[in-house]
Amino acid sequence: MAIAYAHESTADQRRANRKKAVDGRTVICKVKRCDGPGKPSRWESFKVPVEPGMNVIACLKHIAQNPVTSDGKTTTPVVYDSGCLEEVCGACTMVINGTARQSCSCLIDEYAPREGDTITLEPMSKFPVIRDLWVDRARLFNSLKRVKAWVPIDGAYALGAGPKESQANQEVRYDISECMSCGCCMEACPQFNIEPDESKWDTSFVGPHAIAQARLFNAHGVGKVLKNDRLDELMGPGGVSDCGNAQNCVKVCPKGVPLTESIGAIGRQVTLRSFARFFKGR
Amino acid sequence: MTATDGPRQSHHLLLRRLHSLSGIVPIGIFLLFHLTTNASVVWGAANTRMPGEGLERGVATFQHEVSWINNMPGLLIIEISLWLAIGFHSILGVFYAMSGKSNVGSYRHPDNWRYTLQRLTGYVGIFFILYHVATLRWGWTFLVPGGTLWSHEFAASTLAAALRGSQEGFTGAGIAVSLGYFIGITCLVFHFANGLWTAAITWGLTVSVGAQKRWGVVCAGLGVALMGAAWMALIGFLITDPGDARVIEARMGGGSHSVPDEHADDAIGAAPLGREP
Ligand code: HEM
Ligand code: SF4
Ligand code: SF4
Ligand code: FES
Repeated sequence: MAIAYAHESTADQRRANRKKAVDGRTVICKVKRCDGPGKPSRWESFKVPVEPGMNVIACLKHIAQNPVTSDGKTTTPVVYDSGCLEEVCGACTMVINGTARQSCSCLIDEYAPREGDTITLEPMSKFPVIRDLWVDRARLFNSLKRVKAWVPIDGAYALGAGPKESQANQEVRYDISECMSCGCCMEACPQFNIEPDESKWDTSFVGPHAIAQARLFNAHGVGKVLKNDRLDELMGPGGVSDCGNAQNCVKVCPKGVPLTESIGAIGRQVTLRSFARFFKGR
Repeated sequence: MTATDGPRQSHHLLLRRLHSLSGIVPIGIFLLFHLTTNASVVWGAANTRMPGEGLERGVATFQHEVSWINNMPGLLIIEISLWLAIGFHSILGVFYAMSGKSNVGSYRHPDNWRYTLQRLTGYVGIFFILYHVATLRWGWTFLVPGGTLWSHEFAASTLAAALRGSQEGFTGAGIAVSLGYFIGITCLVFHFANGLWTAAITWGLTVSVGAQKRWGVVCAGLGVALMGAAWMALIGFLITDPGDARVIEARMGGGSHSVPDEHADDAIGAAPLGREP
């Protein structure tokens, strides 16, 4: 599904930046640091010589080799999370120049093309910081559990072949299945706020990704046996109606997951389910 | 999900959906009628059944409409239900607005701006509606510069005076009130039109990006038309001279339908009209 990103101008700017990037330059990497959960944060800047095609992770690796700030103080290497290094695992998500994205696919040329330009790195603000740029995304996975984002096939005997799938349904589901649980959509969502208290995770907003995953599994031939459970959860506190339609989620999702369409689709399923519950009782 | 979760869970959705519904029926529908009625002070100029010419006809048409509304059977019930709906929508609206944290600074898209404006215009709307109703309906004239009391028998003239801040020309305070009206109605029209757009997603009517765009065009069109009506009405009252309008209204018998003549005479005698002693 093609989604028009309101962002396009900035993406254009970034592409333009790549063309005008200066060879052999040094840029400032400004990092928001924090020594551990509950500790205060502070800013540290590092001078980083840029190599062609360098990404943010490479920049952080350079800092780890020379942990000296731009004003000459020796410090500790910056801690961050990463996995695939090809924008499919979501682990390296952070806030770069104010917006959430993956750091492994983030080119310095696009953000700091001139000598002395600054690129700013912060941990995501909606998840508790473990250390520096590394956050704990456990609530994201808790949301997926809340909406039972799986196909229930565990059992004592073989269930045989799965149900037939139409091409049209496949196309809808494929886009949603690309979600890599990165957290960008939650970071950008004005209705999704940080909740350090784990006991509230079952009633605070599930987040756009979980709403989309509920739609994905409700549309699955076997997954739909849990449809009512998913909808009942999404009718409750922190469910789909906590979305305020700011539509930031869909604009920052690196995988183009049709999040706002899924919010509309689940809104519809929930409307029908609530009528059914009202008139049929179940 | 056990059955015992049911009531608590559906309660959450029920409140949210009633909030959404109340914004459209009755509040939005009322807004629609209210603004088109008010705009009759301008479009009434084309009403050949009314005496006079140009805006005189507008003043007469508006008076005719107001008198009709005031003689409507069950007006009190309509008013009370509107109040309940507005109170319900506003109180929940403030709660819902407080549950989010705007971030237009970092994510600058029109949708995100609309999200933020929806909440901001809601807050402004509460104050405007309270001021509007307190001064014109409950007669809290101490909040009106010039102390004009609105009268449904002298609808346009007393409103024009309240906006001017005096029976004659504009006073500084009058300009402030007029500006407040401009901001208030602009906010509420935006809030309604944008709310209509989001409500379609809320209820699951618009799912695809294309459907959301198309419905967006419809809502924007309605919003522009309604904004036109709202501004038209305000401009109409701003250029209405209270003195001239009062002559027309008095000629209509101080309200067109069931108002006895002697009342009209009283009203004409009370100059400057309705001012507190
Ligand atoms: C003339 C008065 C008003 C009208 C016609 C109106 C109409 C609407 C409509 C149609 C919606 C859309 C509901 C949805 O997205 O499902 C809405 C949403 C909203 N309204 Fe109002 N409203 C009015 C006054 C107010 C006031 C005084 C407040 C107070 C803050 C307010 C706060 C809100 C909020 C916060 C939302 C967004 C709710 C959400 O997205 O969850 N509204 N309004
Ligand atoms: S559309 Fe809803 S879920 Fe997406 S960013 Fe906006 S409020 Fe959050
Ligand atoms: S929906 Fe997109 S932004 Fe949200 S977690 Fe999945 S991949 Fe990340
Ligand atoms: S490391 Fe996997 S997405 Fe960046």
